[in-house]
Amino acid sequence: MSLPPPAASQELASCHVCQKVSPIRLENCPRCGAHLHLRKPQSLERTWALLLSACALYVPANLMPIMTVSGLGGGEANTILSGVVAFWQMKAYPVAIVIFTASVLIPILKVAALVWLCLAASGRVWASPRALSRVYYITELLGRWSMVDVFVVAILVCLVRFGTLMTITPGPAALCFSGVVILTMFAAMSFDPRLIWDRHRADLADAPPP
Amino acid sequence: MKRHHPWLSWPQLREGPMQLACHLCDTLQAAPRLREGDGAYCCVCGERLYRNRPHSLAHATGFSAAALIFMVLAHTFPFLTMTSGSISTRLTLMEAAHVLIRDNDPLVAAGVVFFTMVAPFILVAGMLYVAAPLRHGVALPGAMRVTRWLQWMEPWSMLEVFLLGLIVSLLKLGKMAEVEFGLGLWALGGLVLCTAAALGGIDKMELWDRLEITRKGEANQT
Repeated sequence: MSLPPPAASQELASCHVCQKVSPIRLENCPRCGAHLHLRKPQSLERTWALLLSACALYVPANLMPIMTVSGLGGGEANTILSGVVAFWQMKAYPVAIVIFTASVLIPILKVAALVWLCLAASGRVWASPRALSRVYYITELLGRWSMVDVFVVAILVCLVRFGTLMTITPGPAALCFSGVVILTMFAAMSFDPRLIWDRHRADLADAPPP
Repeated sequence: MKRHHPWLSWPQLREGPMQLACHLCDTLQAAPRLREGDGAYCCVCGERLYRNRPHSLAHATGFSAAALIFMVLAHTFPFLTMTSGSISTRLTLMEAAHVLIRDNDPLVAAGVVFFTMVAPFILVAGMLYVAAPLRHGVALPGAMRVTRWLQWMEPWSMLEVFLLGLIVSLLKLGKMAEVEFGLGLWALGGLVLCTAAALGGIDKMELWDRLEITRKGEANQT
């Protein structure tokens, strides 16, 4: 079975801003003026680079305190994971689950999904292109929700200012963690899902006829 | 410009069928005109190519105007007020950014301001700027550039994430002190709903096609 041809095979590019299909030799989209590309430039290289930087930042984001609670009984530094554990022990299960999902599960799953997509697009692992497209869609959709922990820190720092009684100050992990979220969002944006289908088309063409 | 076939999708420029490439698999296919509410799906990967959203620009205009009003309220009134003994603290976005800067975290403050104030403002105000006059076939200066901006801003506008953050913080603080809801919280809820409705209602193909039509019309006149 052969698939209908991609636009790229006819030297046609779909504008990444306004979706208009125009010949690539025009260089700029005749409708919105954006630069035309058949595929996102250096898509895999950029995605790998952004993913590696996100992983590097993820280490301090988890080891360093995200906020410090200081009060009459001295100071107490909280990391992301210690916060989750504390809520679990306090039997505040919904909060623990939300924070665990947004700050631990989603970033790890997102990086794993993008690594898988990059490997599949460069032909090192095989998976059904439909499943990969779905994974890409979900990755793009969920990524921003990881930011919730940074917002919680901002909110608590602003509200809990009772001098010596109790004060919350932000820790260095807040910046690292927002860096992780921003980098993984850029990584997802720089990945071109069309590469998966290019690979799939090439595989179909290579396969010996039955 | 009046639609020739009011039940079909946006006024298309070309006489022949328009070509479209799926953004997931790049399959080139003809874009049929659709009835209101219908969608067209890619024949290879099944991804939705586009949908004919009825009254797309009117929806975008109305909801973005409402969102703008909610935005003013959400930034004016505090989301939460917390009282412990004789001291009470208020939470607004400006106040949160101010405290973060004072606590030597200006980058996080910049991020919070960008994701919850700048990006949503560009998104909502930009949509109003483009969609409202375009309904009457007028494109204000720079309309195309603004449309590009608001497409870039879409993933970075994180008000709904901030709202989830507010709920989580409420659950965290609930036992520690007295927390009161402010008008800002309800305004934020309205803002999130209206922004989502405006974004969900807009038909990007219609938007770009109409921008192109108005530009061609202007070029013909001069």
